[in-house]
Amino acid sequence: MTLDALVRNPLTWGTLLFAVGIWLLLPRGATRGWWLGLVITLVSLGLFASRMPALGDWASTGTFGFLAAVTVIAAVMTITLKNPVYCAIWFALSLLGTAGLFMLQGSQFLGVATIVVYAGAILVTFLFVLMLANPEGHASYDRLSWEAPLSAITGAFMVGVLTFALVGVFNPPDAFDTKFSTVEIDRTGEILAGEHMAHLGGQLFSRHLVAVELAGTLLLVAMVGCVAIVAEAKSRRGQPASRKRQRPKSASREPQRPELRAGEALR
Amino acid sequence: MNEVGLLENYLLVGALLVGLGLIGFFSRRNMIVMFLSAEMMLQGVSVSLVAWGRYHNDWGGQALVIFILTVAACEAAIALALVVAIYQRSGSLDIAFWHDLREDNLPAYADQEIPEVAGETPHHWPTLTPSGTEPEHNTEEETHRAMV
Repeated sequence: MTLDALVRNPLTWGTLLFAVGIWLLLPRGATRGWWLGLVITLVSLGLFASRMPALGDWASTGTFGFLAAVTVIAAVMTITLKNPVYCAIWFALSLLGTAGLFMLQGSQFLGVATIVVYAGAILVTFLFVLMLANPEGHASYDRLSWEAPLSAITGAFMVGVLTFALVGVFNPPDAFDTKFSTVEIDRTGEILAGEHMAHLGGQLFSRHLVAVELAGTLLLVAMVGCVAIVAEAKSRRGQPASRKRQRPKSASREPQRPELRAGEALR
Repeated sequence: MNEVGLLENYLLVGALLVGLGLIGFFSRRNMIVMFLSAEMMLQGVSVSLVAWGRYHNDWGGQALVIFILTVAACEAAIALALVVAIYQRSGSLDIAFWHDLREDNLPAYADQEIPEVAGETPHHWPTLTPSGTEPEHNTEEETHRAMV
């Protein structure tokens, strides 16, 4: 690939704009440039999408485009918003988009399981801990990032490598484009046929039986580990030495509790 | 439907999710948001796996996604137990509290001064007219209260 082809490739510009846009969107202390970052990120996503092939009829293309846009934009919002509660809610929207994408692929069980397990259980537990720990919001550590430009460049580099590989594999420049496109697989068969759950369960408990047993063991070990960690933390809680440790400067600038203020006002 | 095109589009979405999760895990300082980003990377892999399974007309992709769900549930449980334990010690969800676990020859993390958000002026809480005799204040209780 020559330099000329690289410059004329929209994916190059998409990757660059992705890095710049995400860097502008990440919390940096200053609030300037947020809308500019959003516009640049959307342009870069459009550049990525411009190299992707259409899906045939407009209905499937439109459905896929809508679901993919919901998923990716909600993911961008998840990692860039300052309030962690909003992050969790946008992540739930991203999960809904992913569940829709699963449904579009014909994997109905995974779509439902994603909603039930992720959005229903895991995310609600996250929100619960978040509300328990940080009811005030606007903590100073939510308004700063570690090395925002560096991490944005790293992530954009990874996305760029993956998409370049994607386009290079599926649309090779010359002769050997017969490799992927014309391998005919019989797709009238099972994966889109009826009795989805029966087939999936049959596969799961025959081909992946050992893995199912291992997954069950893993769940058990995780449960035991959780109980052990919590019991350990509980036995430690009474010791005053652990709480008197010096906290970083950012933590001391958090707003005070309103109860204390009210008490002072009374005095 | 164009099967190769479908696979390619799904792989793009999976790549974007993985990249965004990577950025979030590297750059955010709130522990909860870091774990959300890790879950997002798992979602990106799941999308790719389902797309490959559809392309090859094979159930292996979907079965692997079920195992990913299992591992994600385990990970979330242990992560939340750890976050709660850490929170009880440090009083904040800031991962920078643990910068004293660094190596001896590394410099300490210096927190950046950030301007206060406009519109976040200190609240004026309502006061009541004092009546009766003022009870004795227990300063010990006021100052040694837990954070939450």
